[in-house]
Amino acid sequence: MADLNLNQIHKSFGALEIIKGIDLDIQSGEFVVFVGPSGCGKSTLLRMIAGLEDVSSGTLTIDGKDVTHAEPSERGIAMVFQSYALYPHMTVAENIGFGLSLAKRPKAEIAAKVQAAADTLQLTHLLERKPKALSGGQRQRVAIGRAIVRDPKVFLFDEPLSNLDASLRAQMRLELSELHARLKTTMVYVTHDQVEAMTMADRIVVLNGGRVEQVGTPMELYNHPATPFVAGFIGSPKMNLYTGPFAERLGCKTYGIRPEHIRVSEDSGDWRGQVRHVERLGADAILYLDVEEASSMMVRLAGDTQLRPGDTVWASPQDSAAHRFAA
Amino acid sequence: MKQSRSLASGIVALIVATVIFILPFLFIALQAVKSKSEASRLNFALPKEWLFWENLVAVVEARNYQLLLAYFNSTVITVFSVSILVILSAMVGYVMQRRQSRWNGVAQVALLMGLMMPPAVVPTIGLLQSIGLFKTMTGMILIQVAYNISFSTLLYRSFIATIPRDLDEAARIDGAKPWQIFFRVILPLLKPVTVTNVVVQSIFVFNDFTNPLYYLPGRENITVQLTLYNFQSTYTSQYNLLFMNILLVTIPPLIVFIFFNRQIVTGMTAGAVKG
Ligand SMILES: Nc1ncnc2c1ncn2[C@@H]1O[C@H](COP(=O)(O)OP(=O)(O)O)[C@@H](O)[C@H]1O
Ligand SMILES: [Mg+2]
Repeated sequence: MADLNLNQIHKSFGALEIIKGIDLDIQSGEFVVFVGPSGCGKSTLLRMIAGLEDVSSGTLTIDGKDVTHAEPSERGIAMVFQSYALYPHMTVAENIGFGLSLAKRPKAEIAAKVQAAADTLQLTHLLERKPKALSGGQRQRVAIGRAIVRDPKVFLFDEPLSNLDASLRAQMRLELSELHARLKTTMVYVTHDQVEAMTMADRIVVLNGGRVEQVGTPMELYNHPATPFVAGFIGSPKMNLYTGPFAERLGCKTYGIRPEHIRVSEDSGDWRGQVRHVERLGADAILYLDVEEASSMMVRLAGDTQLRPGDTVWASPQDSAAHRFAA
Repeated sequence: MKQSRSLASGIVALIVATVIFILPFLFIALQAVKSKSEASRLNFALPKEWLFWENLVAVVEARNYQLLLAYFNSTVITVFSVSILVILSAMVGYVMQRRQSRWNGVAQVALLMGLMMPPAVVPTIGLLQSIGLFKTMTGMILIQVAYNISFSTLLYRSFIATIPRDLDEAARIDGAKPWQIFFRVILPLLKPVTVTNVVVQSIFVFNDFTNPLYYLPGRENITVQLTLYNFQSTYTSQYNLLFMNILLVTIPPLIVFIFFNRQIVTGMTAGAVKG
């Protein structure tokens, strides 16, 4: 349980500046997700918080203590890697207890803590196995177990779910949220997947090109994206974004409207278009329109829509839900 | 059709292997159990009398049990030089692979030179003499370490490149000091290459003839391969004893090889596929 403050954090690799000045205050107990496209510097930022990467300039405090140049093990953090990074030659129990055994804790204490972590994560029956003999989801749990026994002030996760298949990922999202609810520890979670960000975060930090694009709760970002970048990144399917003459006619530089905020009618409306493709997801259907004035447009409809490719339709935005950006 | 062809090529391969590997060994074994006069003919004829035990005793007792001393010396040299080699080159390989610094290039060139340039004997002897290590076991051990460290380090470095850095970092977060990361996380993972390395280097050092000949002269410093040299020069006609001696010094490496055969292959291919 600790605050985490980033103050004008910069990072350069050689002449290349990757992180371009980040200010961020994370409250004690918060679940914060860093989200952004691949290569925007999420991992680098997380690794600086962990102490695995030197901070080029700026300060970092955890629990009010300046840890900008502290060793990782002295920061009170624990990290779960994308690759899990389990020690292949150690059993699950040894993996989880490694940090404690390095700290020369008594054997009985290590065993008790490992047992407690294993109980929390349903790993008890696997304690004597080597990582090689575990499934992806089990390895994931061991990696989390290794983080839990350290009893950290801040948990750091770097895309921990990206090696799992879709259904397991959904399950682990739930388990991580429950873990956070139980431990109430500050967690910083990195992902490129906006679904993970929306579902788990108390607050989302959208990163783009080494800068913070916007910070807010999931619904704040969904309802009031500050920039076209955030608008396009948060929400699935993506928001329709238009620039050029089409946007100018609607009175802005960039005009955005979410697929779920467009009505479609067969005889009247604002924009005429032709159905190019219908993607049926069951409950929903995603309509891909070729709109005459703009380019393509996605519309979310009820799953039982009768529209077919080639049909001509009229689309109209719910005006209150439209986003007008000056940039 | 295809099957019979692969069968035929299999048989050919077996015959070639037999001729290359088994026949010489058979030849040695045959001469080793013959009498002196029979062995001097150097053919594949079976001995009239099987003198295995007599020849064995004669070889072991020769020159006041010199062979036993030679075994002892060779074993000491092998054990010490290979142990130093493994620890040292694993550490060097680890640092070279993981830490980027200005010295990497220098170390790289030094390694390659060590691998490519043949060592000059006379200056080496001069150096050993000036630091008082000529004709000593310590000197011989250090020579073996120096001559083999390039190969060994390259082997470790390329294997360590297959161990994800995440492991080092996870250990660092767990509170491991650099030497603990090496000894508790990295070194145990090097087991497959280490087995390969130990076997290859042990056999090389144990079988070395020329280096002990140059750098370790002296009766009390005899090593196993040099006992052969002695036999050849003084008992030229005693081929039966020479071959018995060959048989005896071949056996330890052979046992090691047979015993570790599988691990060697595993070590050579380890890291090719992520476990
Ligand atoms: N050690 C490094 N040296 C040089 N460039 C690096 C290094 N690590 C990361 N980068 C660069 O920094 C950028 C951000 O990387 P990263 O933080 O891993 O992105 P993300 O995790 O958001 O996908 C990338 O362009 C990457 O090439
Ligand atoms: Mg990353």
